[in-house]
Amino acid sequence: MHIAHYIPLFPFLAFVINIFVGRRLKIGSAYLAVGTCVLSFLCSLKVWQGFLQGERSYSLGTWLLIQGKPLDFGIIVDPLTIMMLLIVSFIGTFILIYSIGYMHDDPRFSRYFAYISLFMASMLGLVLADNFILLLIFWEGVGLCSYFLIAFWHERPAAAKAGIKAFVTTRIGDTGFLVGMLLLFFTTGTFHFSDFQFLRGPEPVLTLAAILIFAGAIGKSAQFPLHVWLPDAMEGPTPISALIHAATMVAAGVYLVARCFPLFAAHPAALQTVAVIGGISALMAATIAVVNNDIKRVLAYSTISQLGLMMLGLGVGGLSAGTFHLMTHAFFKALLFLCAGSIIHAVGIQDIRQMGGLFSKMKVTSVTFCIGALALAGVPPFAGFWSKDEILLTAWNNHHPVLFAVALLTSLLTSFYMARLIFLVLFGKPRSELHAHESPAVMTIPLVVLSVFAALAGFIGSPLKEATGAYEGSQVMMLASTMVSLTGLGLAYLIYIRQMALPQSLLMSCQGLKQLLLNKYYIDEIYEVVLVKPILRLCQGSFSFDMKIVDGLVNGVANVTQFCSGVLRRTQTGLVQNYLLVQVFGVVLLIMWLLKI
Amino acid sequence: MSEMLFYPLAASVCIFAGLAVTQKNVFHCALYLAMVLLSIAGIYFYLDAPFLGVIQILVYVGGIITLFVFAIKLTAHIEDKVIRQTSQQWVPSLMITGILLCVLFRFFSQNPWANPNLGKPTTLAQLGNFLMTNYAVPFEFISLLLLAAMVGAIVIGKVKK
Amino acid sequence: MIPLEHFCLLSAFLFCAGIYGALTRRNAIGILISIELILNAANINLVAFNKYLGTNDGLGQAPTVPSGQVFALFVVAIAAAASVVGLVLIIAIYRHAKSLFTEGFHLMKE
Repeated sequence: MHIAHYIPLFPFLAFVINIFVGRRLKIGSAYLAVGTCVLSFLCSLKVWQGFLQGERSYSLGTWLLIQGKPLDFGIIVDPLTIMMLLIVSFIGTFILIYSIGYMHDDPRFSRYFAYISLFMASMLGLVLADNFILLLIFWEGVGLCSYFLIAFWHERPAAAKAGIKAFVTTRIGDTGFLVGMLLLFFTTGTFHFSDFQFLRGPEPVLTLAAILIFAGAIGKSAQFPLHVWLPDAMEGPTPISALIHAATMVAAGVYLVARCFPLFAAHPAALQTVAVIGGISALMAATIAVVNNDIKRVLAYSTISQLGLMMLGLGVGGLSAGTFHLMTHAFFKALLFLCAGSIIHAVGIQDIRQMGGLFSKMKVTSVTFCIGALALAGVPPFAGFWSKDEILLTAWNNHHPVLFAVALLTSLLTSFYMARLIFLVLFGKPRSELHAHESPAVMTIPLVVLSVFAALAGFIGSPLKEATGAYEGSQVMMLASTMVSLTGLGLAYLIYIRQMALPQSLLMSCQGLKQLLLNKYYIDEIYEVVLVKPILRLCQGSFSFDMKIVDGLVNGVANVTQFCSGVLRRTQTGLVQNYLLVQVFGVVLLIMWLLKI
Repeated sequence: MSEMLFYPLAASVCIFAGLAVTQKNVFHCALYLAMVLLSIAGIYFYLDAPFLGVIQILVYVGGIITLFVFAIKLTAHIEDKVIRQTSQQWVPSLMITGILLCVLFRFFSQNPWANPNLGKPTTLAQLGNFLMTNYAVPFEFISLLLLAAMVGAIVIGKVKK
Repeated sequence: MIPLEHFCLLSAFLFCAGIYGALTRRNAIGILISIELILNAANINLVAFNKYLGTNDGLGQAPTVPSGQVFALFVVAIAAAASVVGLVLIIAIYRHAKSLFTEGFHLMKE
């Protein structure tokens, strides 16, 4: 058994212990979860070292035979997996530490750490899997944990509802994923990622399979049109939003596309689909984020937008660019969510219109929040700048002017809404009675660590650069991207700090647009009318059919039996003489028969 | 014994049997039963079975009827004439037993035994000899049965404290 | 010479009277009385058939084999045993249920 196999096993062990005896461990359950996570991180480092020394994929043995072909319990070790392993276990460790502070007085403290350990195990298993079947198992595992953790405070109806919505919505994508996976198998006869370079099959079928697999990524990464679950998922605890719904699980969709990149790259139509969906999601979510007033939802829409940008990056052929952005985004978006959690923890509200002037009260949180925001906005030299720049460059170099424009516009909007968030929350005068205080060290230390990475991760460069031979940075592009980011920041400054009249009046003049954005393009409402209501009616119809016809039949049989029994029951009087009478009657008949009378 | 004695005896059996199953007062019923049994003892004498007749009088009239009387007296207010003694199913019972009686009468009146062979009457010594040889084992079993009934009666009838 | 059928008829009537009583009496002692009638009906038949058809040679010269009488004796003994046990049971039930009417103790347990 190779060391890489242990990586998901440690958190799984923590899950088993926490779910059964976690209540007795009290705070120990958290230490257990953190400890196993650190162990996983160390093992990941060891795997990285092994990789540098030339080790590659390992197989634990054959799991099952499908049409005579073996399916292994195998793991894949390549730069992409190692990057994901390190990100997940590293960020996971700090978010778990942060959670100790954030969840300290929750009645289901140990249950929380059990779920999050299960999530870590599934996520690490997901990135290690070397075939679709194994990946699908962990894929569903992270989805399940996501459901558990979104609905963690299930006493709140909104949280329970959001959990179900997330589960059902991603399920739609997963169905496509499964169908695409099987289609691929029946066409080419393989589930293994390592075979993807040599796939042979009819072009349209493989394209369809790739698009269906991408449907799974759409669901998991909350891309248009299945993005509706992610903003609602903010009902969960904030560290969960940071870990699952910003840094890792939602990136699994991007990971899936990156993992199957040879398949997509060989079929331009599929790749184009990825790029277009990514572009739509990026722009749409960014516009919604501009007007939203809930601190977590702004970040959630920002996540959708950034994931869209990654998809766009992959779609225009930039495997290295997309995964690079995935990496940097994991750091700064986790940081942003943790900062938001710290702020919510301090002030107890989520509406940014009621916040303001928190900078002086929460210095550490505010500084790190600003770093995260600058990184997201793409201001040099923070991490987001480098990766976003690479996406823009790839789009331009591969001759996708429209997608390039979309990415650029998204960058503008991103820097604008992040600046708006910063200015409204941290600066200006408090707009309501707030008794803010800095969070404890157990929460601020992870913030500081993550902010260091959010600031500097960009200098590492894309981990896949060698593999794909990415383009050299263009100074023109850097300048353009910087200009765009600064423009966004400046606009927000003018509107929210200086409160200048002209932009205000401009904003006032397009109320219709604002309404449209505030209502998130009415997508939820459209789904409600087009999908949810008819399905509910169908369900109600089926239910009444079941109750009246099916159950009616069953009950009818029971009633007939009961009626007949009721009639027969009257013969069982319990009076011996009644029985004797019948007996004598029978004997008399017998005698008459015997005597032939 | 006169042959004509049979018919009065038979009539007495029928009348008292009818009374024994229809009368309201159970005590009276027991007495009617005694009359029936005595009449049957007479019929036994007529049928050259004097020993059986004596036994009938001794065991039945002397023993069992006494037992019945004791039981009736022990169960107190049974002799209350107000209480209905016949159950609700007397009409179908009467019909069925009536049909049975008709069937049997019809059968016996239509199928007479043509040639009865009367043998020599059995003496008491023959009967005793027979009982102690051919029927020794059943005889012993009967004694065992009576013992068991006696013990059982004592056990069941004992008032538990 | 009384024909054998007359004994059969007498016994049939006695039997039917006993059956009627067993079917209709509400009083448990009444039912026992009826059963005694039924047993005696059987006894009459046994003794009568023994007298009329009891020889082996068919000529009426050999002594009658008294099997019927022996059977009747056994029946008397069994009837005695049955009524003893039956009456004791009735008394035990009466102590328990304070009733002698069949519908009063038609449940096996109370």
